Amino acid sequence: MVNLIINDKAVKAEKGEMLLAVIRRMGIDIPALCQHEAVEPTGNCRLCMVEITKKDWDGWKRCVTSCLYPVEEGLIVETHNPKLHDIRRTLFDLQLANCPNSEVIQKIAAEYGVYKTSFEVQPDGDNCIMCYACTRICEILGKSAISATQRGHNKVIAPPFGEEPPDCIGCLACAHICPTFHITWHDEGGVRVIWNKKFELLTCRQCGKKTITRDFAEYLVEKRNIPRDYFDTCDDCKRQETARKFGSVVIAAGEASL
Amino acid sequence: MFLDSIDKLSAWQKDCRKKSEAHKVKVQICLGPGCLAAGADLILKEFEKVFKKHKIKDVPLESIKKTGCHGFCSRGPLVVIEPKGIFYGKVKAADVAEIVEKTLINGEIVERLLYTDPDNNKTYTDWKEIPFYARQTRISLRNVGQIDPDNIEDYIARGGYAALAKVLKSMTSSQVIDEVTKSGLRGRGGAGFSTGKKWATAAKAEDTPHYVICNGDEGDPGAFMDRCIMEGDPHSVLEGMIICAFAVGSQQGFIYVREEYPLAVVNLQKAIEIAREHGLLGENIMGSGLSFDIKISRGGGAFVCGESSALMRSVAGEIGEPRAKYIRSVLKGLYDKPTVLNNVETFATIPVIMDKGAAWFSAIGTKRSTGTKAFSLAGKVRNTGLIEVPMGTSLREIIYDIGGGILDNRKFKAVQTGGPSGGCLPENKLDLPVDFDTLTENGSMMGSGGMIVMDDRTCMVDVARYFLNFLVEESCGKCVPCREGLFQLHKLCEKVCAGKAFEEDLKLMEDLSRVIVTASLCGLGQSGPNPFLSTIMYFREEYLAHIKDKKCPGGVCRDLISYVINDDCNGCMACLRVCPVNAISGSKKQKHVIDQVLCDRCGSCYAVCNFEAIDIV
Amino acid sequence: MALSVKHDLKKIQKVIALSPAAGESLIMILQDIQREFHYLPKESLAEVAGYLDIPLSKVYGAATFYKSLSLTPRGENIIRVCKGTACHIKGADLILEQLHSGLKIRPGETTPDMKYTVEVVNCVGACAMAPVMIVNDKYFGNVKCSRAMRIAEKG
Repeated sequence: MVNLIINDKAVKAEKGEMLLAVIRRMGIDIPALCQHEAVEPTGNCRLCMVEITKKDWDGWKRCVTSCLYPVEEGLIVETHNPKLHDIRRTLFDLQLANCPNSEVIQKIAAEYGVYKTSFEVQPDGDNCIMCYACTRICEILGKSAISATQRGHNKVIAPPFGEEPPDCIGCLACAHICPTFHITWHDEGGVRVIWNKKFELLTCRQCGKKTITRDFAEYLVEKRNIPRDYFDTCDDCKRQETARKFGSVVIAAGEASL
Repeated sequence: MFLDSIDKLSAWQKDCRKKSEAHKVKVQICLGPGCLAAGADLILKEFEKVFKKHKIKDVPLESIKKTGCHGFCSRGPLVVIEPKGIFYGKVKAADVAEIVEKTLINGEIVERLLYTDPDNNKTYTDWKEIPFYARQTRISLRNVGQIDPDNIEDYIARGGYAALAKVLKSMTSSQVIDEVTKSGLRGRGGAGFSTGKKWATAAKAEDTPHYVICNGDEGDPGAFMDRCIMEGDPHSVLEGMIICAFAVGSQQGFIYVREEYPLAVVNLQKAIEIAREHGLLGENIMGSGLSFDIKISRGGGAFVCGESSALMRSVAGEIGEPRAKYIRSVLKGLYDKPTVLNNVETFATIPVIMDKGAAWFSAIGTKRSTGTKAFSLAGKVRNTGLIEVPMGTSLREIIYDIGGGILDNRKFKAVQTGGPSGGCLPENKLDLPVDFDTLTENGSMMGSGGMIVMDDRTCMVDVARYFLNFLVEESCGKCVPCREGLFQLHKLCEKVCAGKAFEEDLKLMEDLSRVIVTASLCGLGQSGPNPFLSTIMYFREEYLAHIKDKKCPGGVCRDLISYVINDDCNGCMACLRVCPVNAISGSKKQKHVIDQVLCDRCGSCYAVCNFEAIDIV
Repeated sequence: MALSVKHDLKKIQKVIALSPAAGESLIMILQDIQREFHYLPKESLAEVAGYLDIPLSKVYGAATFYKSLSLTPRGENIIRVCKGTACHIKGADLILEQLHSGLKIRPGETTPDMKYTVEVVNCVGACAMAPVMIVNDKYFGNVKCSRAMRIAEKG
């Protein structure tokens, strides 16, 4: 265990844990847009910055991103002070110029008193805050169908050549993990469209509802060793089936006890 | 000669020296980037042609030496004739026959090609006496311009690989690290971290393997020292890396070179192959038991790859996006393994330290910045080129004594050091000693050693805008403060240049800069606002002139100036021909007129006018 | 105007095979392809991905990240204007103005006849001779704007 002080409170943490996890566990509210427990931290949004020092640092302090900073014995951490507030406020101010229409950004920015950006609004600004959550989850799935392309202010998350990504299986992991709902898709008439690529959706044999894409099912069969017939029915029907089986077991058990 | 034992080197060195002394006269033709841009390749061809035609007594064809950058670029193309050091500048192909006949055959001097100091009309024959050279101390550049980089025997004759032999024969790895630490050598790449400490950390790291990387990315615009070392003396870099490999226990090294330096890639590759052939790289180097080899990794053109974690990702074949380094790359670098990363100049200095000792090296320079530093001196200064001076030399000595003062006798305005991460220092800072700490304390930085001199016709807001534009293009785009912050800072700077900014905008720029500095992920963002911060610190009045008076004192910002033709115009039509928007009218020998509506204010006319007939108002 | 030229896959594969099939070869393979074709033909990226066994998105990411790599066809003659600091303060922009007025293209563009491409490079390390332009790897120093077009055309 490692001992440290966060906002004047002594806390213990596991060796190797990141500061942000400990801070969150203490119930301290600290913004972080690029952090998601499903993926490795990258430190893109910089919002979770905290100020750290140690007793023998002679009063010297430094700002670090808590999502990437491993806990250290004797670390003294401040999560909120005027300097950090100023950093977060400016970062939201910048994000608001870049993603003027994002309700997620508008809402958190307002919490920091930013209602209107001080900077030049990007007319073609979309909702992407370049947190890489989507590319990271896609990589974990072993697909890497999309990636960060170009660089600097022109950077954009996109499939190769901006065309239908050959490696995409339509699993929606990228869309679900996106903190600002930038990545969109739609399902219609048994077809799913995401990243401009069309996918066939499977149909539940019992209720006829559309489930996941055929490509995703193939992937799960191949990579996760899930039996092929698992995808014959939808989750709802599977739950009902389980309930039925479970019910009959309970009833049978009840009868036996009589 | 294949060196299967350390002792064979001294015999080989004797051979090489003998060979080199067999022909006393050497015609050294500088093929550095500056001279090449001035047509040095034509001079070389002409010499070869004349040599093939006429046999000259005691001066065979092999006496022509193709060297790397000799240094005094503004006098290029340069031809130096040793052993007397006769220094011919601005040589034209048509001069070659005369040089051969007069100097090589008759032993006479071609006076008109010598350097004459414009201040006192003194003419110099021997290059070593010219003030530009006489005030320098060359350590990392010791062989650049003096040897043929393709010929390892030249390097050996000048003591090359002797330091490596000494290390392998008589020192332990910890003694090497101690010596480097004691020398006080700080990384020449910019940040100035102690090289010895870095090596010590890597040597102690338990994880294996250990890697050695030489950073030859030199992405700073305005810097070309590393290029000249890689092109002109590649073996010194290899020798430094092999010594490092011995000290930190590494078997694999990489040299990361930018794609924009094709000749550096070629010369390093050749040097690596030649070193292997001689048993200086590869398995069991000089029979010592040390095995180490070097691969070249060509960079794809990204300034951010000068940042260590980005460079290491690039070496691994990924995009050059930095990682947050709460665990230092010396412990977790390339492929997450302990990695020593030093730049070209640092490695090139190592053999000299090993050879002459830490005490000798640390006696040069200042207490906290020991040794010498190479700079590329450029911009509005009379003598431009590659120089090396002891740390602690003042900016004034560099710019006025070595650089010969400001071009066209104009007024000095600022000197920019440290590239895009550095800053601009004004006239009242000219007496500052140049060392790592003093430059940083004064809002600039050493950086890799670019030094650009600016005169009164430079606009400091435009300079800040230029660097910010550079950084916006070069930001990898990963983290918000750098990607969005520098983008907005650049926008605001453009607003100032256009005369559309308000005083409050300066406050916004300063506040934003503070956050970018603290919150950015890597060094590019953390130092990104420096071009703005240093110019607003020293040249605030210039910003205010743009904002309040809608004037650009440097006469650069297009929205705030206009070009007008005065009565000195003799109607030569030069400006008329060069105007890209056809805004100038007038006939021959008659005063021309600029149509202010059509005029784009690019300044082409001003640049070509030989009669000072165009005013900027 | 992008020309859709079908390139000989065999030729692409031959260039790729010059480097070992390891991830660290990626950028150098792309540079070698670019040297051969003056740009990165679209089909070459999938070939590289297959050879190195890495996702196509990573190859595309790298191809768009590094400045020396281009996915659009470039002209027969590459005219590069240095915009290093020394070149900037010594009038690199004026060279670009002249090239624009002569060739009607801005940096990054290629003439419709595919003869010339104008590019801006950050610094080529010939600062002492600023401003510098490079035509097909040949350097020209102290370039006066009035000579820029002549240098571009004659090389």
